[in-house]
Order: sequence, then C-alpha cells, then structure tokens
Amino acid sequence: MSRIPVTILTGFLGAGKTTLLNRILGEKHGLRIAVIENEFGEIGIDHELVINAEEELFEMNNGCICCTVRGDLIRILGNLMKRRDKFDHILIETTGLADPGPVVQTFFVDEELREQTVVNGVVTVVDAHHFSRHVGETHEAEEQVAFADVIILNKCDLATPGELEATEQRIRAINALAVIHRTTRAEIDIKKVLEVGGFNLDRATEINPHFLDAHGHHHHHHSDISSVGIEAEGECDGKKLNDWISKLVRDQGQDIFRMKGIFAVKGQADRVVFQGVHMLIDAASGGPWAGRPRKNSLVFIGRKLDREALTSGFRSCLS
Amino acid sequence: MKSPGSITAGDHLLDLKWNPEGTRLLVTPATGPVLVTDEAAALLEELPGHGMGNGSSAWFAGEPVTCGYDGKIHFGSREWKPGRGMIEHVRTSPDGSLLAAGQGKTLHIFDVAGSDEKSLRDLPTVVSDFAWNPKSPAEIATAGAGGALLWRLGEKEPFARFDWGGASLQVRWSNDGRWLATADQTPSVHVYDIPKDTPLNMEGFESKVRALAFSADGKRLATAGSPVVTVWPCASSKGPDGARPILVDGSESEVQALDFSPFTGQLATGDGKGTLLVVTFEKGQFRRKRVRLDSGISTLAWHPSKPLMAVGHESGSVILLSLEA
Repeated sequence: MSRIPVTILTGFLGAGKTTLLNRILGEKHGLRIAVIENEFGEIGIDHELVINAEEELFEMNNGCICCTVRGDLIRILGNLMKRRDKFDHILIETTGLADPGPVVQTFFVDEELREQTVVNGVVTVVDAHHFSRHVGETHEAEEQVAFADVIILNKCDLATPGELEATEQRIRAINALAVIHRTTRAEIDIKKVLEVGGFNLDRATEINPHFLDAHGHHHHHHSDISSVGIEAEGECDGKKLNDWISKLVRDQGQDIFRMKGIFAVKGQADRVVFQGVHMLIDAASGGPWAGRPRKNSLVFIGRKLDREALTSGFRSCLS
Repeated sequence: MKSPGSITAGDHLLDLKWNPEGTRLLVTPATGPVLVTDEAAALLEELPGHGMGNGSSAWFAGEPVTCGYDGKIHFGSREWKPGRGMIEHVRTSPDGSLLAAGQGKTLHIFDVAGSDEKSLRDLPTVVSDFAWNPKSPAEIATAGAGGALLWRLGEKEPFARFDWGGASLQVRWSNDGRWLATADQTPSVHVYDIPKDTPLNMEGFESKVRALAFSADGKRLATAGSPVVTVWPCASSKGPDGARPILVDGSESEVQALDFSPFTGQLATGDGKGTLLVVTFEKGQFRRKRVRLDSGISTLAWHPSKPLMAVGHESGSVILLSLEA
C-alpha cells in the first residue's frame, strides 16, 4: 500500500497561509487534497475538503522529555485512512503561533501513521515585509523557519530589494537547508509546495553543509537559532555514530529542531540516511552511492548549537 | 450462527447503534449516508452524511443523531452547527434526557429542545472522548488533561481529576458507576476506582489499545489492540489490582472491536482479518466460539435484549448474527 504524502503548512499570523491554502484548493492541479485547518484559523475556509480541528497537544509519556504530539491529527488521519476513496495528499495547517514540532513528532511516534502516511515536508510562509519584526516579538516565527524544508517568502511586492535580501539572509542564518521561493500573493507552482520530499529518507539525495558557509555564516544576526553543517571524508564507525547521536539527542534534543545526515558507514555498501526532530530519530538505507563521492554530510538546525563540539563529536565517530 | 439479515453501506463501518428498544439499527460508515435499518437489517431510511467524515452516532428521544467533520449534528430533521470544529462523537445520557457532543474544548450538552446551557466550555484541553456516568445523568467524564476529568453538570470545576500525565484517547465508565477506564496513545490502560479515589495503571501492552469495553454489570473490563484480548476482573474490592487477567486468544490479527452483550454477558471481539470470537465466561474460565467472516471487523453491537449482534466490516457490510439455538 502506498503511503499518502502529508505536507505541514506553517507561517506567522498574516504571512499568507490562508491565501496559499485557497490557491491550493482552487487550482486545477488534478490532485485530491484534504486540508486539516486549525479551528481558530485566521479566516475560516469553507470548503468541502477542509476539516476544522482544534490543535490538541499532549505529552507522550514515553521517556522523551520534549515529545509532544497532536492527538487530533492521530484520530483524523486514522479516520481518513479508513476511507474507501483515499486522498492523493493531505495538508495540515498549523496556527500562526504554533511550534511545528508536535505535528512532525506525531508522525514519528504513531506506528499506524508511520505505516500509512509519509511526511513530505514542512512549508513555512514568511511575510517578507514584517519578518524582522515577527522574529523580534516571538520565538515561534524563528522556530517555524527552523523547521522548514521550503520557505515561501511572501508579500515580496511590499518589501524593498534591500529588505528582501536582508530577510533572506536572516532566514538562511537560521535554516541553511530550506529552499526559498519569493512570491507575491502566494503565487507559486503548487508542485513546489507539495513535492518537497523533506522527510522522505528514500528520496534523500544530497545534503550540502557548505551551503551554510555561502549563505549567512558571515552575517550578523541576533538569533540563538542557527544551522551547523559538517562534512567529512572517510567512513564512520556505526556503533560510535549511534552512541554519539543517541547521547546528543538525549542531552540536547530539546534544542535541536531538525537534523539530517548522509553517512558512509564502515561495512555498509549503501548510503545511510538519517533525520531527526528533537529527540526522535530515524535512519534507513539510502541506496547505492551511484558514483557520488563516499563522504559524510550532516546538518543540524537548532538553538544554542556549538559548532566546534558538534564537529569534534562527529569526527570522533570516524573509523 | 444464523444470519437474519445484512446490509451494505458505502464505506468502512465506524459505528453501529441499536435503539433502546432494539427495533432499529443505526449504521454509520466513515463517509457517506448513515443508514437506519429495522431489526432484520432492512433499510428504513438514509440520513445525510457529514462531508469529509462521519463521527459516531446515537439515539436521542427516539430519533437518530449523527455528527461529523463538518461540525454539524443532525437530530431527526433538525440540524445544529454549534461551532466551527469537527464533532467526533455524540452520546446520550443514561436517562435519555441529554445529548453530549465534543467539539474542540467544548462539551456541548443539549436537551431535546436544543438548549445547550448546561454545556461545559473552555475546558483545559480538547475533548477527545467522553463518557456519561451510567448511574447519574448529571455526571460526565472527559478524556484529556493528562487523563480524565469528572464533571457535574452546572459546576465550573471538575469534581474529580484522574491525571497520570498520559495521553488518553478513549474513556469508558462502568455501568455500576464505580470504574472509569481510559486507553492511551502509549500502549496502556488506566483505571480509576472512583469511590476510593484510587488510580490503577496497566502498562506493557503489546500495542496501542484500540478498543475497551465494560461488561453490563461492571465486573469485567475488556481491552484490545493486539490479537490477544485482555479481560480484567473488576468485581472484587481491589478490582484489577493484583488480579490475573483472562487472556483471550484465537484472533488472527489485531482486535479492532469489542462489545459485551447486555443480555447474555458474552463478549464479542472482531479482528482485522474477519475473525469473530464470542466469549462466554464461567467461574474464571472462558469458552469461545470462533467464526471467520469475509472481511476485517471494524465495529460490533449486541442487541439490547436478544442474543443477536450486528457486525460491521471495513468493507462497509453489516451482518446480523443470531446466537439463538
């Protein structure tokens, strides 16, 4: 049974999430998309494919201190999977002030959802004109950027070229991995929103930690959220790598929003791909190297990241 | 077992409810029209569905009540839309005078005229499930807030809290009024001895508990999720505490549906491959009758006053089975 892709749509209040949702629901793209909208959305969308649900957060009593999941999603998605006429895609909108972590964690934690759905990615809509102000006012705006696989830098018509450049640099400093699309009135090819593949280990192809150096590393910014990229030649010792990551997420998982890695592990011919959200991690075979250089690439996005400690920690895993 | 009738709905069966007299059956699929049948499963009426998904249904003042993801409640010919959010369950109070419906952080309480002044609003968490006290039409339990909260209608604060920091998905109140049980997102069941204000936490289940049900006399609690159904004794002064549960095997896959007969006391279980077990309890032992049906069983409902049950399938079919010799 093929798993149904799920896209998580976040964005600060007024950034343009509802505009994007209406565009997705209104365009003729040939896909049947179910939308789970938070009950207190900015504008209620009255559409036959929209479910209004109040975000129901609960803490998992599973030894993971930061593991909060969305109970409403577990029940709604469980029921959607029972339907005879399945959807092509499911889109989950979070409230403007929500931390996307619990939504993502829900898919890591619930076995049935893991079997039946696949998180395609986190798409964050950012108000190009007001992002700097939002970041100064709350931590949620930064966290939404930190979690993103795709950032829709919206309302570009309201920002000057200088503002746009500064905002993009600020975003890059927080999240070196996300793809940024500049838009006005959320006008974008829907495929760029739905076909992200950010959490799909099967589709992991390349992680470029140097991206960080090229974008934002040298820029001054006031946030304590940042990205750290590590790249190393050679092979990892599988046990050392496992022990290091386990300890890392145990000690610092609360501050790590996203992790992604592709490893060359001694004794394994294929690539090992890895991803994590806070304390929840997942690893799988990433298929053959297929002519690509056999090296290790790893990126962390989180709060108070210690680049030197992470780099030396990872290097200690090399065999 | 004989089958006095069958009917097919348009989608995976979510819920089956007999009316109190046992003359009509409400057949609720995941999507599409909700069916009303007679005692032999002959179609009497088709009720409109609720868009993206139906919720569980109920009988209230002699009329069928349905709800769903469109945020609406259909009560006979009436339609209520008390808010924007989805409604997953409607349940009638034990005396039949009130109807409860959870919507976000509100538990709506309607009387027959549609007044909802007894509703519980601005609750601490979303109401994922709720259960009336079978012994008191003025008391209701809501799942959430780390466990469950027990409310008396008309009061602003709960009169009891059952909080172990868990994530409750379902809540049931035993018919004798003594026990409250919740099933959690983690593979665990939590039972609360209400008169003694004592919680019991049962963990270590093989999988998430998908269904739980008390026997009509409140002396047994059945829990299911894996292919083995666990039946906890609740009759002694300590209840399940320290007692050895009965483990009912014989299912071929995860058990998805459970129901105790109010008439015979037997337990019926249904699994994802279509295995139906009818379990008879005798002095700490049990006998089971096993029937293999065509497709996965998603819901079960015993008739209120006959040895007859309705079996709902993932395929959308409903079959009535009679245990009469």
